[in-house]
Amino acid sequence: MENIIEVKNITKAFPGIIANNDISLEIRRGEIYALLGENGAGKSTLMNILFGLYKPDRGDIILRGERVIISSPAHAASMSIGMVHQHFRLVEDFSIAENIVLGIEPKHRFLGILPYVGMTSVNRKIAQLSRDLGLDVDPEMKVSDAGVSIRQRVEILKMLYRNAEILIFDEPTAMLAPQEIAYLLKILKNLKEQGKTIILITHKLSEVKEIADRCGILNRGRLIGVYDVASTSASDMAAYMVGRELDDELPPPPQDFGDVVLDVSNMSVAQRGLKCVDDVSFSVRAGEVFAIAGVDGNGQKELADALAGLIDVSGGSIMLSGQDMTRASVRQRIEAGLSYVPEDRHGIGLILDFPLRHNLALRRYYVSPFCVNGVFKESVFDDFSTGLIENFDIRCGQGGHTVTRSMSGGNQQKAIVAREIELASKLMIFVQPTRGLDIGATRAIHKHIMRQREAGHAIFLISMELDEIRVLADTIGVIYDGRINRIAPARELSTEEIGEYMMGVKV
Amino acid sequence: MDTVFIDGLSYGIPLLCIAIGGIYSERSGIINLALEGLLGMGAFTGSLFVAFFGGFFVQHSSVPMYFAFLFAMIGGALFAMLHGLLCVKLKANQVISGVVINILAIAFTGFFTRQLNSQVFGQPSDRINLGVSVRFDIPFLSDIPIIGAAFQRVYPFQLVIIAVVVLSWYLLYKTRFGMRLRACGDNPHAVDGAGISVAKTRFVAVMISGALAGLGGMSYAYSIAASFSPGIYMGTGYLAIAALIFGNWRIMPTVAACMLFGFARSGGQRLSHLLELPASYSDLIFTLPYVVTLLVLIFFSKSNKAPRALGEIYDKGKR
Amino acid sequence: MKIKRLLRSIIGGEKRQAFIIPLLAIFCSLVVSALLLLSMGRNPFVAFQSILAGAGVLAKPNYAGGRGMVTDIMMTLAALTPMIFASLAVTVAFKGGLFNIGISGQMLFSGFLATILVGYSDLPSYVAIPLVLIVGAVAGALVGGLIGILKSKFNINEVVSSIMLNYIIMYVISFFILTRYVDSITRNSSAINASARLVFQNFMIGPYRAVLPVFIILAIGAAIAIKFFLDRTRMGFDLRTVGLNTQAARYLGISPQLNIMFAMTFSGALAGIAGVMHYLGYNDMIPPGSLSSIGFDAIAVALLGNLNPIGTIFAAALITVISQGTTYMSSVLDIQREIAQVITGLILLFSACGAFLRQLLSRTGERTE
Repeated sequence: MENIIEVKNITKAFPGIIANNDISLEIRRGEIYALLGENGAGKSTLMNILFGLYKPDRGDIILRGERVIISSPAHAASMSIGMVHQHFRLVEDFSIAENIVLGIEPKHRFLGILPYVGMTSVNRKIAQLSRDLGLDVDPEMKVSDAGVSIRQRVEILKMLYRNAEILIFDEPTAMLAPQEIAYLLKILKNLKEQGKTIILITHKLSEVKEIADRCGILNRGRLIGVYDVASTSASDMAAYMVGRELDDELPPPPQDFGDVVLDVSNMSVAQRGLKCVDDVSFSVRAGEVFAIAGVDGNGQKELADALAGLIDVSGGSIMLSGQDMTRASVRQRIEAGLSYVPEDRHGIGLILDFPLRHNLALRRYYVSPFCVNGVFKESVFDDFSTGLIENFDIRCGQGGHTVTRSMSGGNQQKAIVAREIELASKLMIFVQPTRGLDIGATRAIHKHIMRQREAGHAIFLISMELDEIRVLADTIGVIYDGRINRIAPARELSTEEIGEYMMGVKV
Repeated sequence: MDTVFIDGLSYGIPLLCIAIGGIYSERSGIINLALEGLLGMGAFTGSLFVAFFGGFFVQHSSVPMYFAFLFAMIGGALFAMLHGLLCVKLKANQVISGVVINILAIAFTGFFTRQLNSQVFGQPSDRINLGVSVRFDIPFLSDIPIIGAAFQRVYPFQLVIIAVVVLSWYLLYKTRFGMRLRACGDNPHAVDGAGISVAKTRFVAVMISGALAGLGGMSYAYSIAASFSPGIYMGTGYLAIAALIFGNWRIMPTVAACMLFGFARSGGQRLSHLLELPASYSDLIFTLPYVVTLLVLIFFSKSNKAPRALGEIYDKGKR
Repeated sequence: MKIKRLLRSIIGGEKRQAFIIPLLAIFCSLVVSALLLLSMGRNPFVAFQSILAGAGVLAKPNYAGGRGMVTDIMMTLAALTPMIFASLAVTVAFKGGLFNIGISGQMLFSGFLATILVGYSDLPSYVAIPLVLIVGAVAGALVGGLIGILKSKFNINEVVSSIMLNYIIMYVISFFILTRYVDSITRNSSAINASARLVFQNFMIGPYRAVLPVFIILAIGAAIAIKFFLDRTRMGFDLRTVGLNTQAARYLGISPQLNIMFAMTFSGALAGIAGVMHYLGYNDMIPPGSLSSIGFDAIAVALLGNLNPIGTIFAAALITVISQGTTYMSSVLDIQREIAQVITGLILLFSACGAFLRQLLSRTGERTE
């Protein structure tokens, strides 16, 4: 089969890191080619080069047998290369059709002179396109009203509307529920049947196994090898990807739980008049990991924020070790024994412009010995941060004086986890604690969580990754549309069943 | 009652022009506190034309005035490029940039007006005299009882601005350019992904903003102020911003907001006239638009929906 | 890439950036000002020299009787005092994530209240002077606090509300001055009693007559105290946290609302002190219908001083020297004295770009994936 696109000896360096080191790949027309690798392995960089976002320092791109220089995304699109990014690029205020035609808007003329953008024929064309592929998208719907899965389909339509032949997907399943993932994989197969070439960036082996023909594995900017998916085992691929053999993570060993630490009954949360947490009740015991599974945007964030006191509840009660915390302030809850590792580590978990020593002390800075009579004791901050940096193996250039912004994502997350675990709170809330981290950092954080469980702390975990919930949780609650519809011990729930509750098929 | 209408419109319509300039900039994602300076720079440029070339025209000709308006728009647009440069290219803080532009505009126009007057025209003064534009009644419409007042003693620039407003609405909501501009203010990444230059679109938006502010400023120079002087900086640019916030960054509600401010001012003046208050009370009347603005903001700012990417520095490298 | 590397090598690490970038901004604006002066046929070196001489930093060729360099430098210090306070007001608000552009209004309000409450009274100096300072701080704090409440309770952008308040204060006070406190000759407010004045007049220093701006010491002390407050105290830490990241502050249990109000009140109080230092110190009356340009120049100073209270002292000195020295320069070169505002504006312009330079440099140092 002919190669539709080849990269030859591509090298791309950023200050301090070589993202792509002499990579050569050949992709055949009409195949699904998976690009596997951990975070930071250089997959996205390589694809951004193909899509014209970055210029390679060295190397060539050969498209349909001709050497090309791809200077911009628009240029890539004109050569029928399309890309769906991890973070969708949609204008919320526009309709789906308007988003799709942005940049190639159909021009009509009113009375033969005044130019204007007419949407009627576009709407019809997009509805047709969507039907042909089974995408089920209403072109006149506003994007702000559309969910994640629909938005992703809009991104796919955007490429197809521009007659793209090579479709690049950057971690397309990261935000989807199991059933939505199945649906997406079906769409990808459809596209392949229609003769499109698909490049799939992912680190999920199961997806690669299911739909890809071949896979290239990257590690630390280098191409490790190209494998035929059908004849390579998943565990081999995993080993190639990480560069070493990995033990499988196992579900937590049975453990006796202690007293109830967190008791939530009939709690509801309303934001801007909408109920996003609806009458939920559950309890978490000492030594138990209680995990909430669900598709992003079903009230998890609000649930965690309400427990931590960031937003008010509109009904119900929160009891922490027998104390009523329903109306307590953030600080009262912290002092009563609560830690919170939030999902958005850049947005709220850290002050990026502060040095690490301040960020590590954010829970304690205002009390003695850190602060006496309103004035800081600098040496206490130094000793405290040095201790945490050592115990939690936080890599930072200038110790406690490192500006937090300059640290890598994994180490930033370690800093937050260190700060919250150090409080030794009875209840620890973790929301998406390993999102965007590579396997090494993920394992480290999982170990910290399990150690806290063994030490008898109650853990409340929210994650969108079922794999993560599988290896951590004692008890699983499944959330859908703000309601927790099923709570059961982890071993009693099959993945399929969790999926059905996540999608609201079962309530 | 008639004067309330007439004065209210002659103040409110140029204000609207400036506010729409602001809408262009802000809907593209660039905060524009520079309107105050831009309107002054525009009016200064237009006045310069009159000061140098006004003598070449027959007396009482209104041709120089139209040229002045043209130059005001050019001057405003050119000076707005500085704001564009700072905000788009140099990625400066947009609020700071706006304030910097204002301070610079006040300093520049003040200095050059004085310098020109003393060096070129030989009389130290801080103003360039322009006179007041002619006014006229619109036939038929002005004869309608009560609302007819809105069509009496109209300045020609009011009609020009109304045409500009209609055109702006059309450009912003109906054309490719407008669609892309609005997309820039909502999600610049989407625009960039579609192969359109966010920087260029925003730059042009800021320039349009400057041109419209210049037009509005020139209108004041030819009506209320009858001259160009530092007195033109009376906070109108900031009022325009308040009006567009009140109007939720959309053209039609902003029209209503500007009319409200215009009538608050003229109504207040009329009231003080009716109550036969001494002239010193005019200082108190002048506070009315600002007080109304504050009150309006207190009651409406909660329901505001600013463009999503407003004030966000767009950086290609970031995802 | 090459240019970036070159710039990096000049500007160097973070510590050096704090000095070099403002110096670059000053240098660029002096170059542009020099070009401007050249284009009008003036010698820029003579211009800069006479600015320094006018401000008392260099000696003038000749002085009127009883005056000397010390007369000029003391006057410059008297003008510097309110400038430092006003710039500290900008800095404190900035650290809290707020842009206080209403300093001129706050200054006018405090200056006016202190003038009518204390300035026209017969109180002896040792009562009047502390009272002036207190009234000034409280009046400024009230206006600043109002802006803070509008921001935190009603979500009104502080820039818009403080500008509205600037104009309201200006017109209302103009009304009161013109109807009640006007001096029929100067058309300004009547002069305050000497006992309430914060700058002591008519001192003899050697053979020269000069003013004695004692409160410059208070201004420098305030800068040091605020530096300590911001860096080393819990309240300063809370304020900076809110300024950098409101969401994170909420997550930590620090109230953004309270800190916004606090930052604006604090900033307003400093602006209020600047107001009395200006209207009851450097001046002894208030011109109706105008706002002092100090409030706006202070923004330039704060940016130029790298938002560091100590840096502010030096930046304030520079801007004050320019505005004080320009009267003399304009008479030497026969040029309008508004040129001072133009130079200040240019410094402000380049300072705003300095923020860009810093950002650019810090980003190239960062790891990218």
